Amino acid sequence: MKRRVALVAVLAVVLGVAAPVLAADPSEIPLVIEKNRFEPDVIKVKAGAPFVLVITNKDKGPEELDMQQPRIEKVIPAGKTVRLKMPALKPGKYPFVGEYHSETAKATIIAE
Amino acid sequence: MGATFVITLREAFEAALILGIVYGYLEKIKARDAYRYVTWGGALGVALSVGMGVAVTYLSGPLLDVGPEIITVVVIFSAVGLLTWHAWWMQQHARFMKGQVQHRIDEARAHDRLWMVGLIAFTGVFREGAETVLFLWGIMAQAGAEAGWGGVIGGVAGVACSAGLGWAIFHGGRHVSLVRFFSVTTAFIMLLAAGLFSTGVGRLQGLGFLPASEPLWNTSWLLSDRSIAGGFLSGLIGYRSQPTLLEVIAYVAYLVVTAVLLFGHRAPVGVPLVEDPTQP
Repeated sequence: MKRRVALVAVLAVVLGVAAPVLAADPSEIPLVIEKNRFEPDVIKVKAGAPFVLVITNKDKGPEELDMQQPRIEKVIPAGKTVRLKMPALKPGKYPFVGEYHSETAKATIIAE
Repeated sequence: MGATFVITLREAFEAALILGIVYGYLEKIKARDAYRYVTWGGALGVALSVGMGVAVTYLSGPLLDVGPEIITVVVIFSAVGLLTWHAWWMQQHARFMKGQVQHRIDEARAHDRLWMVGLIAFTGVFREGAETVLFLWGIMAQAGAEAGWGGVIGGVAGVACSAGLGWAIFHGGRHVSLVRFFSVTTAFIMLLAAGLFSTGVGRLQGLGFLPASEPLWNTSWLLSDRSIAGGFLSGLIGYRSQPTLLEVIAYVAYLVVTAVLLFGHRAPVGVPLVEDPTQP
């Protein structure tokens, strides 16, 4: 009995945490990786609203989107499209790089 | 070539550090027969890294969108748990060495759980392993076309250089006394695990499972996370140029809690209880 109560409690916590993430219907913003660069390299989003970066890698090798703040590391394999859920951002600039080609693959998200 | 060298050197450093400490620990407690656990753990880490690299390349949809991140977070927190256990175990070991008899009892007990070090080796290698595999794979795929083979050579050299550093830690450890080795590596492991714990919390923030917060400070002008020195400090003590409040709290809380757990109510580490019986 105790175990069942504990299980229900754990489930409730998990759902409570996961529900807001799953329930939101955020806007989608396309981002393309080509010739080891991000296109576009400036992305404007609404502050305070979560969104989804739909990232397509058109190159022959994988790339890793690396953002310092919030801490996001996401590998996008060659030729694939990845949907990266982004948390709501406060107004400001959020630069990121493609870690595997950080000299050329640079971009910034501007939340306003 | 230089850029790929730096990336793989950074990625592989933490794994090399952990392997060096764990092999060194086994050497110190005269449990060389248990090297195989570490070797197997490390090999399994490499194998699964390659497996995950392949899987990520062929996956698509939700599995690719969040699967690797969830695995990464699970591996990070498992590594924190295992490393904490290992630090605690080394402390116990050091304490029991009050006499030869107790030393032997403890050794027998230690042997029962030595397979756990294999798990530590596994998580240590697997954590950044898949990323390193994908990176190396990528530069190999592009080697023929755009980039030259210099990038591949640099990447492989970076991994090799990290492995060399791990070996140097192991080798250097052989020349210090057991008690000193234990206290130094316990401190290393605590800092490393605190850094990992805070990284895990940061990842959960990035995934949206924990509330986001502003960076508390920004020292990237002084030491970038992407430089060699920044990478080493990140592996060693969990350096971050722009930590969030929650990450800093996680780091400090981990250190305080484990310090109390490890050194709370008995003799502090670093104070040799007896002369080290394993040294000639």
